[in-house]
Amino acid sequence: MAVGTTVAVPQRARRSPAATVLLLLGAAYCLLPVLWVVIASTKSAGELFSTFTLSPSTHFFDNVAALSDYRGGLYWRWMANTALYAGVGALASALVSAMAGFALAKYAFPGKSVVFNMILAGVLVPGVILAVPQYLLLAKVGMTNTYWAVLLPSVISPYGIYLCRIFAAAAVPGEVLEAARMDGAGDWHAFARVALPMMRPGLVTVFLFQFVAIWNNFMLPYIMLGDDRLFPVTVGLSGLLNQGATQPAMYTSVVTGALLSVLPLVALFLSLQRYWQVDLAAGAVKA
Amino acid sequence: MRKAIGGALAAALLLLAAGCSGSDDDSSGGGTAGGGKVELTYWSWAPNMDKVVEGWNAGHPDIHVTVNKQDGGDPAVTKLLTAIKAGSGAPDVMQAEYQKIPTLVSADAIADIAGEAGGLKQKFPDSAWNGVTLGSESVYGVPQDSGPMMFYYRADVLEKLKISPPATWDQYADAARKIHSANQKQYLGTFSANDPGWFAGLAQQAGASWWGVQGDSWTVNIDDAATRKVAGFWGGLVQEGVIANTPMYTPDWNAALNDGTQVGWLSAVWAPGVLEGNAASTKGKWKVAALPQWDPAKPAGGNWGGSATSVTTQSKHKKQAVEFITWLNTDPAALKALAGTANIYPAATDATSTALTSPPAFFAGQKDFYAIAAEAGKVTNPFTYGPNVNVAYSAYNDAFGKAAESKQSAAFTAALATMQTTTVSDMKTAGFKVAG
Amino acid sequence: MTTLPAVTPAAERSAVTTAADRPRRGRRSAGTPYAFLAPALVLFAAFLGAPVVYAGYLSLRRVKISGLGLGRGSRVEQWAGLGNYTRVLTDSEFLPSVGRIALYGLIVVPVMLGGALLMALLIDGGRSRAGGFARTAIFLPYAVPAVIASLLWGFLYLPRVSPITDVLTGVGLSAPNVFSSSWVLYAVANIAIWGGMGFNMIVLYTALRTIPGELSEAARIDGASDVQIALRIKIPVILPSLIMTFVFSLIATLQVFAEPMTLRPLANTISATWTPLMMVYRDAFIRNDIHAAAATSVVIAVATFALSFGFLKLVGSRAFRQED
Repeated sequence: MAVGTTVAVPQRARRSPAATVLLLLGAAYCLLPVLWVVIASTKSAGELFSTFTLSPSTHFFDNVAALSDYRGGLYWRWMANTALYAGVGALASALVSAMAGFALAKYAFPGKSVVFNMILAGVLVPGVILAVPQYLLLAKVGMTNTYWAVLLPSVISPYGIYLCRIFAAAAVPGEVLEAARMDGAGDWHAFARVALPMMRPGLVTVFLFQFVAIWNNFMLPYIMLGDDRLFPVTVGLSGLLNQGATQPAMYTSVVTGALLSVLPLVALFLSLQRYWQVDLAAGAVKA
Repeated sequence: MRKAIGGALAAALLLLAAGCSGSDDDSSGGGTAGGGKVELTYWSWAPNMDKVVEGWNAGHPDIHVTVNKQDGGDPAVTKLLTAIKAGSGAPDVMQAEYQKIPTLVSADAIADIAGEAGGLKQKFPDSAWNGVTLGSESVYGVPQDSGPMMFYYRADVLEKLKISPPATWDQYADAARKIHSANQKQYLGTFSANDPGWFAGLAQQAGASWWGVQGDSWTVNIDDAATRKVAGFWGGLVQEGVIANTPMYTPDWNAALNDGTQVGWLSAVWAPGVLEGNAASTKGKWKVAALPQWDPAKPAGGNWGGSATSVTTQSKHKKQAVEFITWLNTDPAALKALAGTANIYPAATDATSTALTSPPAFFAGQKDFYAIAAEAGKVTNPFTYGPNVNVAYSAYNDAFGKAAESKQSAAFTAALATMQTTTVSDMKTAGFKVAG
Repeated sequence: MTTLPAVTPAAERSAVTTAADRPRRGRRSAGTPYAFLAPALVLFAAFLGAPVVYAGYLSLRRVKISGLGLGRGSRVEQWAGLGNYTRVLTDSEFLPSVGRIALYGLIVVPVMLGGALLMALLIDGGRSRAGGFARTAIFLPYAVPAVIASLLWGFLYLPRVSPITDVLTGVGLSAPNVFSSSWVLYAVANIAIWGGMGFNMIVLYTALRTIPGELSEAARIDGASDVQIALRIKIPVILPSLIMTFVFSLIATLQVFAEPMTLRPLANTISATWTPLMMVYRDAFIRNDIHAAAATSVVIAVATFALSFGFLKLVGSRAFRQED
């Protein structure tokens, strides 16, 4: 994590207190809600609305237990569903995008610009607009209210294809592919054994990017799913919050659930943090 | 790290396989799973409804009901209407709030079960039965619960200020002034622009009926004298500043209930559950009374909440579905489970004697809780809902949100006019025949 | 794909020479690029193309109800021509919602990108030991879905449960009511800035890291200050990245939905038509009129295209061109 400070700048750079203050202010701004949710998750239902906001309490494990008890551990099923939708969806998306990006970057073929412009146009279409027609079309083949209904639409990522094309163009030299072909490797072989490994850092970015996009897409699962055992965690938590007038909102569970749901994602981000630089650099510079 | 991703992938694929094989037998629409056994799906948002239904499944091996818990009345209707439009994906049985029934009937989403359930009429109070027939010969569901409105207040606060529970709205206004002047942070209530159902209930008490049927056309009377009286009353209190203007059901409102800055709540029979969940620390301090009246000589009441159980038009097992919803809403054991486990106030007339014998836990001290509720139910005014309640309610949110923010009494009556024009023009655009 | 061993090209070449007499037909086939594209194209057609075309079709249809609308058959679908479009464009709520997001964009885009640029420059400048910590902290909100972020900020905004109010009243100030009509736009904008600053900072920081160190070094020896180096050297070099982040922020602005939608139950000041996408939601799910919703969707999509391509044309960027 400290790599940035040692590599980019010569050793003789003087420390600047003003820079430190500004950076810490930025960090504090970003951490404030996180700090709040950590503290709030330690409070009992009564304390959440009565004690001073930033004074922690001792009920974190009670809250986790209560959340886990809710309808036989449904929360953890939501978490597993989220891992499935975002994890498998993003993996499949990265692979599909890699293949398409590779084709667009390394081959000349009729219709290439049509395909590419279509995909660029796809970047601009908001998910909210798509959800209803997607539902109506999937209902025609009886696929709503299944895992597929959320998973399949999540695999296509125009932005992922766009990034992959840039990355294939930048990271996979034509000569290397040509050399592989000279040696008799088929196209699939050249792609899987030569191009894919070279594109790997970029693919991790596409994976993370799509992971976040799926995780963030509230509308699609909200519309597609009627059975709450299929919900991802965002839709589930929003349900706990909006119980309708005749039920109390389960704020303690929502707050604890929100914290627990973000933790794995934070861990994933931190462990893959170095990939966030590599490829977006390629994308940005090439653009 | 690569290993971690591989592991996650494997786990996720396993889940996918499990999920997909699992979803075959619980996918909606219902089907027969061999041996003539009928599978029904049931969308409901009442808590613990699955436990109530266990009682049915245990005694009926040939008709198995699966409950899909919904987020609440609005999302459930949204999803049902989308499924109806798509032609598949709807459940067999659906919890439907009374105000949504005309919308659902108009969208051809719920089935007429007059042939199968018409005989249940005498088991329910007229107002509830009216809610499922829309005054016609058809029957679009079996009433499940009702929500007669009552007035909840912090007995300790009112006693300290020597205020007796208001019997009329004038007394309510006086009490609100007294409380707020004794403590500038305290309010007897709030005007919530987020709860059209609440406002509709208060208008119902004043004698309004926002929609009506006249021959073959609809009438819309949102901006009528009775509702204008109610809007003006609240606008006046908000303008004076003696009633809060922030919405209910927010963390802020929860905090206000807990710290004693909201000391009254005009709510319905289901309020104890909400108070217990949102303000557990105030247990034992609340009491309930009948709604304040416009004319104490002619006591009247309104409804907030309440729903019926309907069979959808996509169900392939209408007969079995009606059998189930009849049991659910009339069988003594089911009523007891609804009241005790699912925490709802059954609409069936004999529920009061069989299922509602002791007050809710949060009001353990008030022995006459259900007697007051029954009384409130008896004087409830008739009220007809129209086919675009959602439009009217959303217009309420927007127009009264602005009015509450402005704190001007005139803005409240203006908001009512906006509601009326929005509702009528939506109906006309859609093609409904609207009188006047 | 991540389970494949990372083979270096040299090793790869020596590995495949052993299979030199593989038939050549497969790799020169004209169908190959299409085969690589096939999964993407099939999915694109099914889940993007078809829904978009279907939305276009729906926008030209309407449901006509007759009489009371209660009996079966009282509801027929028919062609509407451009009726839905005229209805949307003349809706009294449409222009205000467009104006609102224009203003919202004027706040979010410059503040978010300015903040991201400042933080990226500070971290890249290496003048503080806090750089690594700040980078992680500022990136963290990207991991929080908008729905959850809005929920957290909602708690921080409401006076009775907010620590901000506690602190302000503690020092004798009165906290503003964040949900009043004069503040609510900033309240929503703040959530978007909070959620988006980190991602943009990483993009810009990554671009900054590609600038050779000697460049700023030389400038520094010539007596240039940090600010001058940033303005004259670094920012011009990363301009393409800035343009990219600008375009994507612009698109996100036009599509703002989750934040106001989540905050709406907490406030009197966020209407059902607060942004154009909320209007789509209202038409589709509250008014049960998917045809009007489809028409609004098409209008938004066209506006998004016009704005983003218009902007790229204006700055003459090659970001979206096919050539490298």
